[in-house]
Amino acid sequence: MLKCREVVHQADALLAGELSGRERFALRMHIIICRHCRRYVKQFRHLLRAIPRMHGQASESEVSRVMTAVKNADKSMGGQSNPSG
Amino acid sequence: MRAEVVPDDIQALRRGDDSAFSALVRAHHRALLATATAIVGIDDAEEVVQNAWIKAHKALPGFEGRSALRTWLTRIVINEARMLLRKSRREVSLQLDEDQHPLADRFREGGHWSKPPVTWHDESPDGLLMQRELADCLSRLLLAMPAPQRAMLELRDAGGLEFDEICNELTITASNARVLLHRARTQLFKLVDHYQETGEC
Repeated sequence: MLKCREVVHQADALLAGELSGRERFALRMHIIICRHCRRYVKQFRHLLRAIPRMHGQASESEVSRVMTAVKNADKSMGGQSNPSG
Repeated sequence: MRAEVVPDDIQALRRGDDSAFSALVRAHHRALLATATAIVGIDDAEEVVQNAWIKAHKALPGFEGRSALRTWLTRIVINEARMLLRKSRREVSLQLDEDQHPLADRFREGGHWSKPPVTWHDESPDGLLMQRELADCLSRLLLAMPAPQRAMLELRDAGGLEFDEICNELTITASNARVLLHRARTQLFKLVDHYQETGEC
């Protein structure tokens, strides 16, 4: 039987779809009977969704500093090689 | 939902539209600064990101949308960060630290919870990490986090880069990368859990 501590260690791999069928089954069985781990995995998933937004937006002065630097660079540099996208 | 500009804006960005570019900077600048800070340190991060924006601005007409804009911008930041490190003859060191697991004190010896997570009141992306009261706790936690952990969090979770790419760029093994990311995430989990329980850091 999986321990709660192991559930916490495997939650990353579970959410990334990296567990084998056997591991996933063992984890699911644990989660069915353990409400603490059920809550952990659910809230951990929500947390991962929140991380890309955690830094918030730049202030207007930060934006205008970047815009000024970009404009100045445009004026001073000619066409140089671009990173591919 | 991530702080991404809407697809229509990509057309405007390719055309070189200033207000679309400002919106792009507004949405991603702070996150890119955090990424650069994790790699080159806080003193050089601003310069790295400034240079990255200049490169991004020039490259946008050729942006093909194969990856999310945030991920594309994060790659440019990594390139600039590596250039700066090369110039100053420093190296990226993403070695595994020997820190204790952030949630180690939450388990009994047998491996069961001694202090299980509380029920979080607000689970929305904006509700969890973007509350004003939490902002200070969050930035303190990120500053105190070992740089390798923070770099993994910024690159993988905030920047959206794949493990393989991070491992190649920063010369780190896949298993170390996973351990570092797990530690960083569980530190964040602990912070949010404590905040949801007590309303304090």
